[in-house]
Amino acid sequence: MAAALSLDHVEFRWPGGQAALSGVSGTVSEGTWLAVIGPNGAGKSTLLKVMAGWERPAAGTVRLWDRPLSTYRIRERARAIAVVPQRVGHPYDLTVRTVVSLGRISRHRWWDRVGRLGEEHAQAVESALALTGTRDLSERRMSQLSGGEEKRVLLAMALAQETPILLLDEPTAFLDPGHARDFLERVRLLVRDQAKTVVMAYHDLVTVGLYCDGIWAMDRGRVVLAGPSGSVLNHPELQRLYGLEFMRLTHPRHRRPMLLFP
Amino acid sequence: MTNVNQPAPAAAEPPSRHGHATRWLAWALACLLALLLGVVHGSTTIPLWSVLTALIHPGRGIVAVIVWQIRLPRIVAAALVGGALATAGASMQALLQNPLADPYIVGASAGAGLGAVAAETVLPGTMLMAPAAFFGALFSVFLAWTLSRGRGRSAMLTLLLAGYALSVMFSAISTFLMLAREQSLSAIFAWEMGGIHGMTWTTVEVAGSIMLAGLILLVPERRHMNALLMGEDVALSVGVPVRRSQGILLLSASLLTAAAVYIGGLIGFVGLVVPHVIRRVVGAEHERLLPITFLAGATFLMLADTVAENLPPLGLLPVGVITAFLGGPYFLYLLADRGRGKRATN
Repeated sequence: MAAALSLDHVEFRWPGGQAALSGVSGTVSEGTWLAVIGPNGAGKSTLLKVMAGWERPAAGTVRLWDRPLSTYRIRERARAIAVVPQRVGHPYDLTVRTVVSLGRISRHRWWDRVGRLGEEHAQAVESALALTGTRDLSERRMSQLSGGEEKRVLLAMALAQETPILLLDEPTAFLDPGHARDFLERVRLLVRDQAKTVVMAYHDLVTVGLYCDGIWAMDRGRVVLAGPSGSVLNHPELQRLYGLEFMRLTHPRHRRPMLLFP
Repeated sequence: MTNVNQPAPAAAEPPSRHGHATRWLAWALACLLALLLGVVHGSTTIPLWSVLTALIHPGRGIVAVIVWQIRLPRIVAAALVGGALATAGASMQALLQNPLADPYIVGASAGAGLGAVAAETVLPGTMLMAPAAFFGALFSVFLAWTLSRGRGRSAMLTLLLAGYALSVMFSAISTFLMLAREQSLSAIFAWEMGGIHGMTWTTVEVAGSIMLAGLILLVPERRHMNALLMGEDVALSVGVPVRRSQGILLLSASLLTAAAVYIGGLIGFVGLVVPHVIRRVVGAEHERLLPITFLAGATFLMLADTVAENLPPLGLLPVGVITAFLGGPYFLYLLADRGRGKRATN
């Protein structure tokens, strides 16, 4: 499978801080779901920001398909990569439909910018609302949504971008198990039916084992383990990473690895 | 920067397209009525019928001269200033994601003040105060923006702080110059309170053209402004060229503000309050917010100017005093009301 994103010795340092990423290399194959795991402060969110092009690496290169990410223009990049952020501020209250339609900005032509939006944008927004089950919320305001609804709206915004690549930063944090599962199922269908490439920073190792194809385990800015989820979750190094002992089980229905705390 | 992550109170349900058109019409009508009211009332009241006749037949008789040469330029100037300040305020609030932002926040007022004082000091009585204030306002914002460039993520915070520092410095220099030349104090003081007097069509046309340029710049940015409300990272990831958009918004707001200062000096409160009030009515979507904010700001300042011109015991009152008197308590009422609404829903 072709590489959608590839990183070559990427280094990143926050202003005034220690190295947040050091020597990160690896490839994310097209149409796969990659989880980035690791303890707090390991550099997961930073890695996603560098992959999104929000932050430029101090050294090394991030490539999107065959070109360095830094050579893409902002609009061009937004047609390739969409991001579901961990949380957003909304100091002033937009409606759900407005937020989802922000996902279309990178596809606005000049006449869309000056006048009324073309029909194709309305259709894309409708189908993103339908895919995420947020159509009933479309006239609500963001401040009136629950945490789970807000996450689905942000996913709808990212889907309206119609990008082949999705970056998710802790997408189910603050969600109850029902809503978390609902969200992950929607992402699973996107990977399966639309061959989207998904990179997801995540904490829950059980979920990662059930849903994701590959895992990068990070520790202090480095990728210390990388591979198919089964082999990473079974690797003895993982216990040292978290400073914990795990019980290794196999999911009775899906036959996939599960890690439990004893 | 006070980045208010507390969501604003639930605004009215978003209006349908039909409801929005009605709202548009209502504001346009209010604007027109305020304009007529301003023309009718003055040192002598002209009956509405005579005003309408004079409007249709310009150049016939003394009434037509008063209407066309004295009252209309003044009331149109008030409309332009009110609309421009309110729109600039809405832009600044989106740009800085700060509800306390007003058109003057990044140093325009102190820059304009320094320009006016410097002109009055160097060449007193030459009517150069207004153009000097215009360039002073633009210069100050430009300086703050230059200092904030290349600051990446903290650019807007730097802009805000640099604007504040420049404001303090420029005000200090203004005060020093004013104290050094006591005779110009009252002229400067009257100017600083803001007022729309002795308008000519030339002034209105010059300022109006600059404002038009500022407004045109906003048209292709209105949806980008919605994205900026979600934060710079989200805006970037959906494809908004964030730095360029911020530059355009700042340029537009500065042109609107400086042109308003050119006409009316420093008129407070319109730019802060009107966008907040309108946001509560039509929501935060800028494609709706900006045009209605312009109309509402225009209406508000025309009414305030008419009141200022017609308070007999006090003579000519700076319109800035009226906007503060009307706007201040209403804004406090809205804030108190917002608090109550929140408690009730929680």
